Amino acid sequence: MALAPPALGADYASADEALAAIEGLEADVERFLQRLERTVASSRPLVASFRRDRDRHRGHRARVRRRLGLPSSETAAASEAPDAALPALREAQSALVYAHAEALPALGDAVSVSLLLGDMVDLARHLTVIDLWIESEAARG
Amino acid sequence: MAEARRDFVLRLARGAGWGSALLGLLDGTVRALSKSEETDLAILDASLTLEHEAIAIYEAALQRNLFLAGLRAYAVEFVGDHKGHRDTQLGLVEERGARPAAPLDDYHLEEMRTGDAAIRRCLEVEIAAQRAYQALNSQIRTKDYLLTAAFILVDEVRHETVWKRVTGIRIY
Repeated sequence: MALAPPALGADYASADEALAAIEGLEADVERFLQRLERTVASSRPLVASFRRDRDRHRGHRARVRRRLGLPSSETAAASEAPDAALPALREAQSALVYAHAEALPALGDAVSVSLLLGDMVDLARHLTVIDLWIESEAARG
Repeated sequence: MAEARRDFVLRLARGAGWGSALLGLLDGTVRALSKSEETDLAILDASLTLEHEAIAIYEAALQRNLFLAGLRAYAVEFVGDHKGHRDTQLGLVEERGARPAAPLDDYHLEEMRTGDAAIRRCLEVEIAAQRAYQALNSQIRTKDYLLTAAFILVDEVRHETVWKRVTGIRIY
């Protein structure tokens, strides 16, 4: 289940636009995590681990914004998703991973690229963890 | 542990014939390279050497039937990904009118005779690929190659994470 590049990927016009897209997609993922941790007790260690990474990623983006002279962003509170379906979480997570890849060419700064690449690696790992969870649920029937 | 991992990644990159500037990026002694066509080509070449090695390891392990039934599908998927990465990057080198890196004659796979040994070699090459793409990608000048290399890196992380889980290493 490798990630094939999307047929029509985002072509961000600016770093600000790319970072705003990432922040919106990160909030989407958070909605599913909120629902999961409330309804599936065994997911809590995983959700806590993902959030630790997310907090570090926010710090990286704040650093990128400072480097590029962009205004800081407000983190909007996410409302809980209506269900805890893993495929929907996977879709949101996949969109977030792609957004990081597609943001890189818009940054124009090697340090910023390096920071977002590291975040993308964490998020791709999360995506695989979700895939493996989906596979184990399917195997269990 | 991190030191040992860095050592084998460097050993693998040296064995694949990487130049000193790229090795320096990998071990942290070089912070940046000049963004140029030459740098992009050097990164493409280095990446190709790792893709060739990964393909050789997976193909040998599959031919020797070393993967348990439940893991064979991952190996087939991952070697397919690596062939896709190789072909994409071969195309990029050829577009630039350069001659791409060829596979080595020998990857010293004679001792890979058990499932555990195969998974260990697969995990090592995936860790090396993930580290290499992560270290090198920020130095890429061309936007289309940067995007391609980012998508490849996402695949490498998937491969590494699956093998880590199989070997009982924490993945979150």
